Amino acid sequence: MAAERTRKRKRDQEATIAKIKKGKVNKKKAAKTKKKKGGSDDESDFEMAEMYKKAKPMPGQLANCELCEKRFTVTAYSKAGPDGGLLCTPCGKEIQKEAKIAEKANKPVVRKARRKIESNRLDGLTTRGSKTLQQLCIEKLAKHSEDIEEFGEIPEAILNRLSEIFGKKRAMRSSTFKLFLQPDLDNLAIHEAAYLETEDFNQIFAVIPTIKKLILRNCCQFKDSNMEYMIEKAKDLVDVQLLGANLVSNDNWINFFIARGPELKSLKLEWLDAAFNDQAVEALSTFCPNLERLKLERCKQLGVDSIDAIARMEHLQHLTLKLYIHIPRERLINLIGSVGGNLRTFCLENFLDNTETDEMDEDYVPNETTEPKEAHKPDDHVLAAINSNCTHLEKFRFSDNNECTDAGYANLFTGWNNPPLRYADLSSTRDLDNTNPEGPEDLPIGLASSGFKALMAHSGSRIEYLDIASCRHINHEALAHVFDGVKQYPHLREINMSFCTVADTQTVAGIFRSCPRIKKVVTFGCFEVQEVIVPKGIVLIGAPRAHDAIEQFGDTVMDFQKELQSEMDRDRAMGRIVPVMG
Amino acid sequence: MADSNLTEYVTLVSNDGFEFKILRSAACLAGAIKNSLDPTYGFKEGSDNRVTLPTINGVTLEKVCEYLYYNQKYAESKDAPDMEIPPELCLELLIAADYLDV
Repeated sequence: MAAERTRKRKRDQEATIAKIKKGKVNKKKAAKTKKKKGGSDDESDFEMAEMYKKAKPMPGQLANCELCEKRFTVTAYSKAGPDGGLLCTPCGKEIQKEAKIAEKANKPVVRKARRKIESNRLDGLTTRGSKTLQQLCIEKLAKHSEDIEEFGEIPEAILNRLSEIFGKKRAMRSSTFKLFLQPDLDNLAIHEAAYLETEDFNQIFAVIPTIKKLILRNCCQFKDSNMEYMIEKAKDLVDVQLLGANLVSNDNWINFFIARGPELKSLKLEWLDAAFNDQAVEALSTFCPNLERLKLERCKQLGVDSIDAIARMEHLQHLTLKLYIHIPRERLINLIGSVGGNLRTFCLENFLDNTETDEMDEDYVPNETTEPKEAHKPDDHVLAAINSNCTHLEKFRFSDNNECTDAGYANLFTGWNNPPLRYADLSSTRDLDNTNPEGPEDLPIGLASSGFKALMAHSGSRIEYLDIASCRHINHEALAHVFDGVKQYPHLREINMSFCTVADTQTVAGIFRSCPRIKKVVTFGCFEVQEVIVPKGIVLIGAPRAHDAIEQFGDTVMDFQKELQSEMDRDRAMGRIVPVMG
Repeated sequence: MADSNLTEYVTLVSNDGFEFKILRSAACLAGAIKNSLDPTYGFKEGSDNRVTLPTINGVTLEKVCEYLYYNQKYAESKDAPDMEIPPELCLELLIAADYLDV
């Protein structure tokens, strides 16, 4: 008992000492501020008042609630009232609730939608104005895809749009897929067929035997049996695009080419690893002589023989190739020489002739293997061949290349007997030498300053889409020269100049002035682009330094835009989506 | 054509006889209505300020009108909230939207 009393006294003593100490400190502080301010002792008075105030009751004691005046037992959880007193439990709860609401109200609500806005921006969707009614309906339909019984009479364009959105929302399943099968269709496009089963693909040809154009992307379960059924049923098929149809054997591809024969007009195949080899391409060129459009991308088994086979397809107008192996320059030049004259689209991605690492070449170019070092010498023969053979190109892609020089590109575009290009993609044409990132100074590799100037001089009047991403050797002077704000590129709508590190704010501003119809400017990795004012209706993507500082969806109506205003309004009314041509 | 004929409101008529009087500025957001009301083309719709839409029923047309006003309201704002569409109306509305070009 006595011990407890001493303990209690001791505790009280300590508390008092602490209080006095605190008071001293406050006095000192007050004195200091007094000296500084040289007057008013209100503050110290306040401190004193604080000190002589009645101490707050300890837990377990009784107190009167500050708000409702009721007597209650103080606990460790009792809340402090607005004037510093304590509150009873009900009042405490009440005040906590209010505080929460106030906190919510203060929180910025924009955060929630930020990610969506950012995502739309990358998709090229502008956030200004409302969506079209069609867009709203289609999105809603995709959300309720499982509940739809049939579409009824829907125009083909809308059906295609629905298919796109269903694919995007991963709603294209066996059940919903049947909605798209309408017997009177000519075209069927399923952009995401990964959920569909083997039997579903047979349904297509059973319901629409008169189908002319078929697009199936990611049709993983499209098997030999489907191919056989397609050959048997779909006798009008002229245009086929299949992505990732890896369960179709080589023999069945050949059977298909034999069956469709001269009627096949367009073939696009991508992502084939297991089958589809050179023999299939040989068969294609033998049995389908009237093929106008051919796209073969990422087909692992294709090699040099395919290039030679394609060279025999005289009627080709659109050719897109992306192979995995290196193709000897001679074979490619031979291809350009034989089919280049008719081509309107010509896309070559990653066509290199790396003799040193590729044994395939030995069979075809024995003389070059004697000097393997020569292969790394820049070589512009391919570009020269394009210059002399291709005279009808509208769309041209020559990307991922580190073998052709700037002079080669300049020569290609200077005095080229080809109408101005509508679509030019020369991305990732640059030197690849880690020890020398600037590339050789006297002889730049890839599309550099003079090549770029020549390209824009040749095609500037018609060009709609320009991709010069990673063309690192274009210098600032060339960009400033091309986009000087005076020269006009009246049709240019989209430009990608990501990782052209010299591009700066001035360049972007120049683009806005030089390209009255520009809709989208992509500037990933352009660290010099800062503080740009983006005019209305234009999307600026990337620009790492400009993220928060600027409004990337332009608000400002620039003076040079005013005359175009009405036209732009009309464009916007037609559809909010910025055309993404890439 | 004299401008006096350009009333502030125009009438849209559905195939089951419902009439909707809405602001001309809103109605003209729909391409098909805009063209039919355009006095330079001299259609009867232009002089009557009245468009009959024989393929669209009253329920759908009401929603279309709602959309036209919604579109007008949010024309300049950013992050416009999506308009609510009852799922059962979606297909008909989609076809109407395609027809009217909105």
